[in-house]
Amino acid sequence: MTALLETRNITQRFSGLTANSDVSISVGRGEIVGLIGPNGAGKSTLFNLIAGAFKPSEGTILFDGEDVTALPAAERCQRGIGRTFQVVKSFESMTVIENVIVGSLVRSTNMRDARRKAHEVLAFCGLDARADVLASDLVPSEKRRLEVARALATEPKLLLLDEVLTGLTPVESQKGVELVRRVRDTGITVLMVEHVMEIVMPLVDRAIVLDLGKVLIEGKPTDVVRDPKVISAYLGDRHAVGA
Amino acid sequence: MDKAFIQRRRRDLVVAAFLAAIAAAVPLFVKDVYVQNIMVLTLMYAALSQSWNILSGYCGQISLGHALYFGLGAYTTAILFTKFGVLPWFGMLAGGLISALIAMALGYPCFRLGGHYFVIATIVIAEITLLLFQNWDWAGAALGIDIPVRRDSWLTFQFTRSKLPYFYFALALACVAWFVTWWLEDSKWGYWWRAVKDNPVAAESLGVDVFNSKMGAAAVSAFLVAIGGSFYAQFVSYIDPESVMGFQFSLLMALPAVLGGIGTLWGPMLGAVILIPLTELTRSYIGGSGRGVDLIVYGGLIIAISLARPQGLVSLFSRKPKPAAQPAREAVAS
Amino acid sequence: MTAETIIQSLASGLLMGLLYGLIAVGLALIFGLMDVVNFAHGEFLMIAMYATFFLFAFFALDPLLSAPLVAAALFIFGAVVYLLIVRFAVRAKANTGMVQIFSTFGLAVLMRGVAQYFFTPDYRSIPHSWLGGKTISIAGIYLPQPQLVGALIAIAAFAGLYFFIHRTDFGRALEATREDAGAVALVGIDKNKVFALGWGLGAALVGLAGAVMAIFFYVFPDVGASFATIAYVTVALGGFGSVFGAFAGGIVVGLVEAITTLILPPSLKTVGIYGVYLLVVFIRPRGLFGSI
Repeated sequence: MTALLETRNITQRFSGLTANSDVSISVGRGEIVGLIGPNGAGKSTLFNLIAGAFKPSEGTILFDGEDVTALPAAERCQRGIGRTFQVVKSFESMTVIENVIVGSLVRSTNMRDARRKAHEVLAFCGLDARADVLASDLVPSEKRRLEVARALATEPKLLLLDEVLTGLTPVESQKGVELVRRVRDTGITVLMVEHVMEIVMPLVDRAIVLDLGKVLIEGKPTDVVRDPKVISAYLGDRHAVGA
Repeated sequence: MDKAFIQRRRRDLVVAAFLAAIAAAVPLFVKDVYVQNIMVLTLMYAALSQSWNILSGYCGQISLGHALYFGLGAYTTAILFTKFGVLPWFGMLAGGLISALIAMALGYPCFRLGGHYFVIATIVIAEITLLLFQNWDWAGAALGIDIPVRRDSWLTFQFTRSKLPYFYFALALACVAWFVTWWLEDSKWGYWWRAVKDNPVAAESLGVDVFNSKMGAAAVSAFLVAIGGSFYAQFVSYIDPESVMGFQFSLLMALPAVLGGIGTLWGPMLGAVILIPLTELTRSYIGGSGRGVDLIVYGGLIIAISLARPQGLVSLFSRKPKPAAQPAREAVAS
Repeated sequence: MTAETIIQSLASGLLMGLLYGLIAVGLALIFGLMDVVNFAHGEFLMIAMYATFFLFAFFALDPLLSAPLVAAALFIFGAVVYLLIVRFAVRAKANTGMVQIFSTFGLAVLMRGVAQYFFTPDYRSIPHSWLGGKTISIAGIYLPQPQLVGALIAIAAFAGLYFFIHRTDFGRALEATREDAGAVALVGIDKNKVFALGWGLGAALVGLAGAVMAIFFYVFPDVGASFATIAYVTVALGGFGSVFGAFAGGIVVGLVEAITTLILPPSLKTVGIYGVYLLVVFIRPRGLFGSI
């Protein structure tokens, strides 16, 4: 069976700076894959390229066997790529349920269906009690969950999560981990970017480590964390931060 | 599911029907022509502002050049009638369609512009069109067009003896503009517009066609405003560029919505009902010596509202209790 | 059309353009500082012109002498507008974009109303002044003296502004605040003070322009409207917020206006300016000299 998502030799340059260089990764159906690496490794760039925020300088992106490299973000959403934002982008003047309805309208323009679907997703994400609250009145952890709910409402095949677990309290973070597992149990493939390895390692089936814009290593989380290259990349990172 | 929501939608509809019925009965008791005139203008601006609100309030693309569509509606009707003998009803439809097309043609380059660049582009485009009409001899140039009076009838949409027919048309137009907003509010378009207004990047990631959302809003908004312009041409029976395309119309379309509540269903109506009679009354009671008092009242109101109540006066009526900003329990515990 | 008339109108276009730059620079300064477009900018110009007019009418003060006084008065006015209105507008929680636009817009309408009420809608002008109506001939080109002196004042003002921003403490605070208001607060600069002074400075500059304009232009309550649109175009061409972009934008606008007058009837002279604005932003959505 072909992979759900495949990037082939992706290179991305920003005015002289190479953020991704010859990155080829693949994500199989039903997997939870973690995209990790130290700061500035090019995780966010790769993530945005897959979500369609911009086009890569070189390389192709295949989704569900089709070339989506040139498709705009909205089109990719229709094809089944859902995403969240690292810096949450709620529709602040709309209520929680209305936020989610925007997502569910991709699949059904019948308002009754869209609304029902939105309620289901909110219940799934544990936000149903907050349905009629304005998004601007949510606390940060709820806004994160709203991001996930909105993306889920588009019925994605692949869900891209951008640091949804970072900066949460242990309790919240545990709830987040459970939510991601339940998402995968519904048959959705998950690709998540995280900076902090400790949070994602128990959750993911496979980890891809990026460093300096290239794939450093990929494999089972238990193997990856022991790999000397990964350790030095992270230590080097810490060293750089300390300097 | 969601009974409260369906109830609220239904309640809006019932209240609107009730208010429309009351408004329709008012002329039975108010015979004063001056007051009737104010009522016609109030309803017209309510309709215009409601239409402006679709693009600027719901979709967040603030236009200060909607006088363009008002003027196009007025001119299309007047030109078709005086030069080709086309009945105003067809002129009205033609004006609406032309305006919608032009709005989309202009939207093509304009909607790529951000914030202030967009606002200024709308002002500038309306100004250019105004200047062109002032210099377009065939369309009467700065002198404008006098619409000859044939006879009082609905067919020619001309009434010299009574203002009532105009009143009822303006009422119908306001109802239509309101109903279109009501209907679109709970549709794909309504949600798309508000998403585009709040955060276009997030909207795109959720499959929203941002560009076409704006185009759709512009077309609907321009069409309805042009109908208002057509109506106005018939109502005053004489038009010139400054009196139908001047900047003050762009302003007068925006203000009721801003005052009542931008991007809300009832805001433009509420704003128009307060603002237009207030302006007309200050203008006539303070009289010639007090020129500028209407502007002082406007200006003061706009500043006060935008600072004290950015959600508009309609938020005073909001019956839905503000949901406690209390976070879910586990977040509090942490 | 001879070469002389072309040179003649380009020269006066250049002078006018420098004045447009001076009118617009306050707008650019304020926008660059805090991302707010002052939609009452034209009305600032209007009251500056009235102030100049009344100083002449009551004290027979020549506009050139009253210019510093008018600029000082406008400085105070600008700072007060910030403290009373804009300070609250930028804090709005709901509808931020709309609040920013309409709070200064409301001020514009209010000021116009006040001017109509107290000064009547009559057109006024300063009948005789040191420069009014005089021309000077340089190498066969006739230049109106008010515009010439106005242009020189504009150049001096831009030079002063350059010196001010780069050489003084307050100027540096201004620059720092426009780059990162949050960080500035951390090093103990009072953001509100900087903003108020920025508004004062922006208003003072338009005050200076108003004093010059009053020499050769009619003064009436709506005079600000047309110049305001030109100022927005100027600032947008220069890339919003760039002070020296406004200088360059002003020159472009002045020249375009001069060229338009050569080709089209005078009643259409602003069409050229507006057309250039649209052309520029459609090709470069962030303005001619604007950064991304």
